[in-house]
Amino acid sequence: MMDVVQRIEGLQTVATVQEALELKRQSAINLLSRLRKEGYVTSNGGGKQPRLYKVTRYRQLPRHKGMFDLLNKHNPRFKLAAWYDHQVHGRYTEEDAILDAIDTESIRALLATLRLFNHVTDWPRLDWEAKRRGTWNRVGALYDVARLFFRVRRMPRRYIPKEREQQALNAHINRKNFPVIGQKWNVDIPFNEKDVASI
Amino acid sequence: MTSLNDQETLFTLIAKNLPTDVTCWAFGGTAMMYLGFKEGTKDIDLLFEDETGRNAFIEAIKNLGFAETSPVTIYVPEKLKDKTKPLMFKRGDTRLDLFATKVFRTTLSAAMKEGKGAVHEYRNGQTLKVAVVRSEHIAYLKGITGRDKDFDDIRTIIIKEKDFDWDVFVDEAVWQHAHGDTWALLDTERTLRDLQEHVFIEEKYLKRLYAAQGARAGRAGR
Repeated sequence: MMDVVQRIEGLQTVATVQEALELKRQSAINLLSRLRKEGYVTSNGGGKQPRLYKVTRYRQLPRHKGMFDLLNKHNPRFKLAAWYDHQVHGRYTEEDAILDAIDTESIRALLATLRLFNHVTDWPRLDWEAKRRGTWNRVGALYDVARLFFRVRRMPRRYIPKEREQQALNAHINRKNFPVIGQKWNVDIPFNEKDVASI
Repeated sequence: MTSLNDQETLFTLIAKNLPTDVTCWAFGGTAMMYLGFKEGTKDIDLLFEDETGRNAFIEAIKNLGFAETSPVTIYVPEKLKDKTKPLMFKRGDTRLDLFATKVFRTTLSAAMKEGKGAVHEYRNGQTLKVAVVRSEHIAYLKGITGRDKDFDDIRTIIIKEKDFDWDVFVDEAVWQHAHGDTWALLDTERTLRDLQEHVFIEEKYLKRLYAAQGARAGRAGR
């Protein structure tokens, strides 16, 4: 079986499998079906599109969604290539994804979190968990930046630092790396307005 | 044999019983299952970065009915003299080998931490985070544990992982040797020699091992 898999490894259609293994059409379909049951093949397409079969030497296991899945789901134009496979078995929400992205300390992951703030529904949990991890000021700063550029659900007032609450956030435009927000939350923001425009 | 589904159910239950969040590293058969190289494993190998994490994990598995067992029949005697030998727990057919800080003499290197292949988080009350080392490091660790069937597992990884990076494999041996694992180069050289009977491995990788051994011996001589 492994010999066969090695010979047809990669993206295939029924016709290319037929050609590679010199099989009749029905035999090729049967083989792909058997390999799919064993986990070596996944397929997509069909209908008006050609059905493509992805054949690998290792089993393609079903995935649980993780940080990269959520970040990419809410960023239609800005996709992250996952640098490791992150999967969560259990409840995983936008709040968790924001916090995990901050923990990665990757600028691209931080940029990707901006669009998630419109999907935050559980502010108490985000506040509690962020304070537990010591990253609440970063969450706040990212939220303020997100508000400048995107439609974002309001953060309840009790979570906003009292001082500078009324500060005009538009003062940030055309200034380097959002200094007022950085000062308000006491963090450095590692990207600028142009970076945000790219997402 | 423990299947991937059994393992996931077990880890979810362990997360529920943990007193605090715990992070550990999966290698061996466990890691192979996560990467799709294997369907089942005889033991679940986990490495904790400190004793605190391992103790929290042990507390949770004891609540689930696991009892400590002896590693005498599993590992070769010279490995068992090591202070960092694993604590082993068993319940039915499921066995957990729990290492803390080191896998015998092997430390969790920066390359292992940065180049992790996957992270699986089990959230059920507390969080059990299982980071999976990449396939080259799984093969390297299999090469040094010296148990039955480990060699077959290494072959399986090399056959199934078409982008297997021998540089990462050899770099790890050299790094471990430089950081106190005196057996790292010898074990890796033996593994590579045995593997050469089954797969094509360029001689340059062996030469790098000899060069690292020579450099070390040279420094010791001075």
